[in-house]
Amino acid sequence: MSFAEYLLRRLVLSGFVVFGVAFLIFLVSQVVPSDPASLYAGPRPTADQIEAARATLRLNDPIIVRFATFVSDMATGDFGISYRTRRAISQDLQVFLPATLELAFLSTLMALLIGVPLGVLAAARQGRAADRVLSFSSVAAVAMPTFFLAMILQAVFAQWLNVLPLSGRLSQQFALFDSFEQVTGFYTIDALLAGNIAGFFDAARHLILPALTLAAYPAGVAMRLTRSAMIDILSRRHITAARALGLSERKVLFGHALPNAMAPALTIVGLSFAFALTGAVLVEIIFAWPGLGRYIFEAVLSKDFPVIAATAFVVSLCYVLMNLAIDLIQALIDPRITVS
Amino acid sequence: MRTLLARLGWPGTISLLFIALMCLGALFAAGLSPYPDQGAGTPNIMNKLTGPDLQYWFGTDHLGRDLLSRVLHGGQVSITTGLTVVIAALLIGTPIGIIAGYSGGWVDETLMRITDIFLAFPALLLAVLMAAALGAGMLNCILAVAVTWWPWYARLARAEVLVLRNQPYVETARLMGVSPPRILFRHILPATFKPLGVQAALDFGPALLTASALSFLGLGVRPPTADWGQIVNDGRIYFPERWWVVVAPGMAIFLMALAFSVLGDAIRNANREKDDSND
Amino acid sequence: MKRRHLFLNSIGGLLVSSALATGLLAPAEVSAQDLSVFTIASPAGFPDLDPATSFSNDGAVLANAYETLTRYIPALDGGEATVEPVLATEWSTSEDGLQWTFKLREGVTFSDGEALTAAAVKASIDRTIAIGGGAAFIWWPLDSIDTPDDTTVVMNLNTPQPMDVIAAAGFAAWIISPKAIDKDNAYFNAGNTAGTGPYNIERYDPGQRVILGRNENYWGGFNEGQFDKVVFEVVEDAVLLQSMIETGKADLTYNLPYENLDSLNAREEIEIVTNSSFQTLFGMYNVQKPPLDNAKVRQALSMAFPYDDVINAGTNGLGQRAMGVIPRGIWGHDAEAPVPSLDLEAASSMLKAAGVANLELTMTYGVGDTLQSLAGELWKANLATMGVTLNLQPMAWEAQWELGKSDPAAAQDIFVMYWWPTFITPYDYLFNLFHSEESPNFNLGYYANPAFDDKINAANELSGTDRGASVAGFIEGQRMVIDDAAAVYMLDLPNVHAVRSDIKGYVDNPAYGHVPFVYQMSR
Repeated sequence: MSFAEYLLRRLVLSGFVVFGVAFLIFLVSQVVPSDPASLYAGPRPTADQIEAARATLRLNDPIIVRFATFVSDMATGDFGISYRTRRAISQDLQVFLPATLELAFLSTLMALLIGVPLGVLAAARQGRAADRVLSFSSVAAVAMPTFFLAMILQAVFAQWLNVLPLSGRLSQQFALFDSFEQVTGFYTIDALLAGNIAGFFDAARHLILPALTLAAYPAGVAMRLTRSAMIDILSRRHITAARALGLSERKVLFGHALPNAMAPALTIVGLSFAFALTGAVLVEIIFAWPGLGRYIFEAVLSKDFPVIAATAFVVSLCYVLMNLAIDLIQALIDPRITVS
Repeated sequence: MRTLLARLGWPGTISLLFIALMCLGALFAAGLSPYPDQGAGTPNIMNKLTGPDLQYWFGTDHLGRDLLSRVLHGGQVSITTGLTVVIAALLIGTPIGIIAGYSGGWVDETLMRITDIFLAFPALLLAVLMAAALGAGMLNCILAVAVTWWPWYARLARAEVLVLRNQPYVETARLMGVSPPRILFRHILPATFKPLGVQAALDFGPALLTASALSFLGLGVRPPTADWGQIVNDGRIYFPERWWVVVAPGMAIFLMALAFSVLGDAIRNANREKDDSND
Repeated sequence: MKRRHLFLNSIGGLLVSSALATGLLAPAEVSAQDLSVFTIASPAGFPDLDPATSFSNDGAVLANAYETLTRYIPALDGGEATVEPVLATEWSTSEDGLQWTFKLREGVTFSDGEALTAAAVKASIDRTIAIGGGAAFIWWPLDSIDTPDDTTVVMNLNTPQPMDVIAAAGFAAWIISPKAIDKDNAYFNAGNTAGTGPYNIERYDPGQRVILGRNENYWGGFNEGQFDKVVFEVVEDAVLLQSMIETGKADLTYNLPYENLDSLNAREEIEIVTNSSFQTLFGMYNVQKPPLDNAKVRQALSMAFPYDDVINAGTNGLGQRAMGVIPRGIWGHDAEAPVPSLDLEAASSMLKAAGVANLELTMTYGVGDTLQSLAGELWKANLATMGVTLNLQPMAWEAQWELGKSDPAAAQDIFVMYWWPTFITPYDYLFNLFHSEESPNFNLGYYANPAFDDKINAANELSGTDRGASVAGFIEGQRMVIDDAAAVYMLDLPNVHAVRSDIKGYVDNPAYGHVPFVYQMSR
């Protein structure tokens, strides 16, 4: 199979998966015992208001027609109006999606920056005390409940030591006085674009604790994967040869072994990104992070169906695109993959 | 004991003992708890939110219930949930994976694309959606998590079958005219037990974590029954000022997930060493 | 040697990254500002900022940007409830109570420069009625509005009603600028305001914060010390709310765990302001479903409810015994209502006398609501001693309500919910919760009693003209649902706010939920 064929096949399959997801969402929405009309009508609707909402939402249409409308709405990005926030969902997503993506990107970066070097270190010290401690830490990081870790980090760094902000994305003064334009929705980038250095540091400070919480699990996995990949490679001949040639241990580890052991890194990126999107629900609640996770959770609690559908769709889309990108990159790096 | 230690190593053995201890504690919670009725949910408001002392080793919660008893009782729910999720996922995923792998062709393609759809949902999000759709309750919580879990077993089982299908002994059986169901049940299925079993042991921790996260979000069991995630959720508004309401159940989840990971690793390593020595 | 080298290098790397981290750990420089800011840590977001349809927490923001014709000042400490002038300076009613005339305050302009006229008032109310969302139904008695001149608004009614109280409602009664009349819901929810109030929305980050600045056109003007900016920080989490008030990042907050109030109050820089609220908690019995169709059984269950324990454990003793559904501070409150008290023995023998054994009941309540779940768990424990099993079923409100509105025979046995009034009248409570309904909406115990219906309808007819007779009628009506044990009246909630001690002029008005009138405050 050529790369072009592989690409085509992957694209078609991804499209199929996204359609399947939409179908699944629609199916779940039909099963959920709730009346969208009374939700749409507001907190204490009268019977007339509910009837009017039923007409507005076209709930009396046949189910096939509604599914068709639903699919075409999703495809065109017209997600409708949230029952709960009364705003266009696409408008809400513009605010909440970048907030979560910023967190997801940073936590992925942290996971790599923490997990890979420590994995290398553990491999270099294989069987020694340092390796044991690091290996145990990686297992512990994976076994730690996200919400528990979030609470502990918050209590220690924000409440007890008082060195990092407790919650939110930005201190009040940057919203009130030194505000910067929101171009990308990534506050760190927007602050830099506006040349607002203090704003950048403030946004970055707010990111640390939630991103660290989300990074714990993938960092643990990254450490394990890197360690085993390194151990595998360090035992190979060309490394032994390099050592025999008297290359420094650092050059051997980082110059020769690590690049060959980087295959797991892509896997980690995918895993970490997925974990961040999911874990966001827990972390965003605890850190009052105005992102997609909190938006989804509140929508779920109030059965705000258009939001549930839109966010589930968008998250799966992010997820599918991420996996597609990773698979394609992997195929480019290692052409053998396209064969299987 | 010595052979166990030799096979699993110290960490694996300690984990196994810890797990056994926790399971026994949960199983006999009614007998072991200092205050069994409080563990089952009866309020004791005169003593609400007292710190750990000789009377209440782990302190009491916002209704004055002894947290040691609560955690022991909560273990029943949490451990059962974790185990049931993994078993349910195995029971759904394995047959699908085996059928897909053995049949090949369009059956394989269809089944695997369906698993892809489930995998395209981040697990916790799908579980949250399912739990919201099904309503609170232990069974629904298990179902919600299991739905996100089976695709992994389907993939793993399929991969195993793809390897096994071309093994000489299966090949021989086929040539001898053994019927496909018989090949599946007699030759292929048993061989998938070990890899799937190891994976299941490793998955208990993550399953427990996901189920706890659901409870923490208030989508798990119904009060006054509580699992560990629910107890953390109940106590969260008092943390960190009254840290004990969260620490006992939080540590229970952490240590249990940790013990299962370490044990799973130990089993895997033991198997690998055995395989290596067999080669 | 080489290995040590590697190790040292990793340590060096750690040092560099920790140096960067120290940069991040240092709090950002704050630019010097002379503006005074009042910050509210709000435990809920603002679902709808359209003044016509807003029907929840958003009132807290709107009340600082818009004004109503009148304002309700509750009767507390035995005083009389009053209605205070805001945009209307005086009002009168015709003898038959069918015509109300409001005189408007002169020289009032909206924040966009438009003048407040009778036509603007009429247009605002007409817009609210035309959209028909949220609490628009408060205007149901209204037949038409006349505007004989620029400062006179005449409301013609179909039935006599206390329009001064209705015009004071915290929802659906805001007066908006003529320029905004034809704007849609999305316009307001993008953070646009067009009111006569002292502040305007300057910036709105949904789910995060709302920033209001002064309306320089405000008719009351600004004195020294009044705030320049009002910020609502949306923080759902009680832990964070508490931390914000403790560190001074917020000046006002609420929804803190009751257990933590004592230690907060002990701090010099924080004051805990406790007040009665207009919010009451109760559980409606499904009177259609045997054996709950027997009033004796319901009375027995109500006698097993741990009223004092719930108040003590659930609200740290700050809640008050509910005297029916109409809380203190509302006209028509019945201080001598014959409510049952806890008596497990009597309850048990009453249940036996009714021939009920092995009763199993399901109580639905709000998921995540600590007070409701605590009330349920304590009640469950009491009921267990008399052989009654109470199944607690927490549900999301929508799902709970959906089940409640379904077939009573299949619905819950006890529906637990809070109620608070849209505008301040006992009729709001009694009509919504107990008046017979063809298909259930909020009467989720399905109580149907024509004598009760007649009684409260008659009392309501009199509410605009003969307040005394009206009060008497409502009290008689409420005693019917108390004697009948249509519901278990659990407790009246306290309104508890934590305020920084340096804030002056904070007054809690339970008629408007958790609305801070920031104009009245200073630091």
